[in-house]
Amino acid sequence: MQHVNSWRDVAAATGAADRAAAEEGVRHAYRTAGLAEPGQIVWAQSPRAAVGIVEKLADAGRSVREEVRTRPWAEERRRMYDELGPAGWSALWSATGAQLWETTAALAERIRSGVVADLAPRPEDEGAVRLVLLDAVLGQHDAAWLAAFDGRGDRLTGLAEVARNAGWWWPYENAVVISERPQVLHRDEAGRLDHGEGPALAYGDGFALYAWRGMPVPAAFLEELASLTPHRIREEENAELRRVMLEYYGYDRYLTESGARPVHRDETGILWRIALDGDEDVVMVEVVNSTPEPDGTHRTYWLRVPPATRTAKEGVAWTFGLEGAAYAPVRQT
Amino acid sequence: MYRQGDVLIMALEESAVPAPFLKAPDELRDGRGRLVLALGEVTGHAHAVQGPGRLIREAGPFGPMLLHLPEGGRVVHEEHATIPLPQGWFRVVRQREYAPGAIRIVAD
Repeated sequence: MQHVNSWRDVAAATGAADRAAAEEGVRHAYRTAGLAEPGQIVWAQSPRAAVGIVEKLADAGRSVREEVRTRPWAEERRRMYDELGPAGWSALWSATGAQLWETTAALAERIRSGVVADLAPRPEDEGAVRLVLLDAVLGQHDAAWLAAFDGRGDRLTGLAEVARNAGWWWPYENAVVISERPQVLHRDEAGRLDHGEGPALAYGDGFALYAWRGMPVPAAFLEELASLTPHRIREEENAELRRVMLEYYGYDRYLTESGARPVHRDETGILWRIALDGDEDVVMVEVVNSTPEPDGTHRTYWLRVPPATRTAKEGVAWTFGLEGAAYAPVRQT
Repeated sequence: MYRQGDVLIMALEESAVPAPFLKAPDELRDGRGRLVLALGEVTGHAHAVQGPGRLIREAGPFGPMLLHLPEGGRVVHEEHATIPLPQGWFRVVRQREYAPGAIRIVAD
């Protein structure tokens, strides 16, 4: 798990690449693959810029992603699988790569979609951009599987070295294009892209993704959040955006200003309901954190629960996958 | 049944532990030798247990998980009071939140 945490940091690293170290990693990966070192290494500010550069490269030769990344990875995986057995490999993966897989893979997919959306405004142009993206080695975003192999051989040392020091990269016979890492990355505690005051992910050249708790939102939408009113929230026709508005505005504030009344109250908390036109009701349990904050106060928070919820206890129980009657903690902090 | 923030820990009879999990591989301990029940991606704060025991993940990155403490143990977290647990088997569940068309986990 020590390795996992260092790779967790790699996946979330921001700021300027260590270009010398990354380039040495690239050359190392080529040598390990039995290839001549690339004649040319070109840096890009973002994966989007890198795709543009790759499209214009002259004499780059064919993609060597298979030799540099895929084959060594597959052979190392086979070697370790044979050495550890199915259960051993599964345990290793579960303790390492699986911990990082979901959030990192989701982030990489969001970047891909963002690059495609920016570079291919017409659907007929998407194919060309996606083809270039297929040649990419994900650098820092390969952290999940690199974590599983860390310390178990030197075959992937070059790939790991690039991952620790740079973003995505494109290996071709005669040339390599490497992207810088993002300058900004905001995620919530669950690892999802999340920022209310600007891009959740931004590279040095302005390539950026906006998101609220993982949900992609338009940049202009975020600018509007600061000046929301209950009236504006009720008027919003897009149900997903309206949910984001409600979360940003604060359920408590909205409840107060819209004159909502509690539906039910018991020892676990208070149940609230807000009726929305054209959408299902928002039903929430208001609960008080059991452990006091450093200043002695107790933090109140709201959790949204299914609209059919009838009591506060039923709502809290649902958040843990239980029926209301089954929820009975003897101790909570 | 015990609750520390967004993690619920439910006692489980050993006979109720699904047989495959008795032989399933354990989750590895973290760098500090702890069994990590849930980890915050950003703060790095963890709901964790020290001492002898095993943790078995059933499916998915957010649990549920099975925890076995042959001598009991203590669940610690940077922001929540410690909870002592008796010896035995437990099911560990992360809190979730309803979102229309999807269910999201809660991260405290």
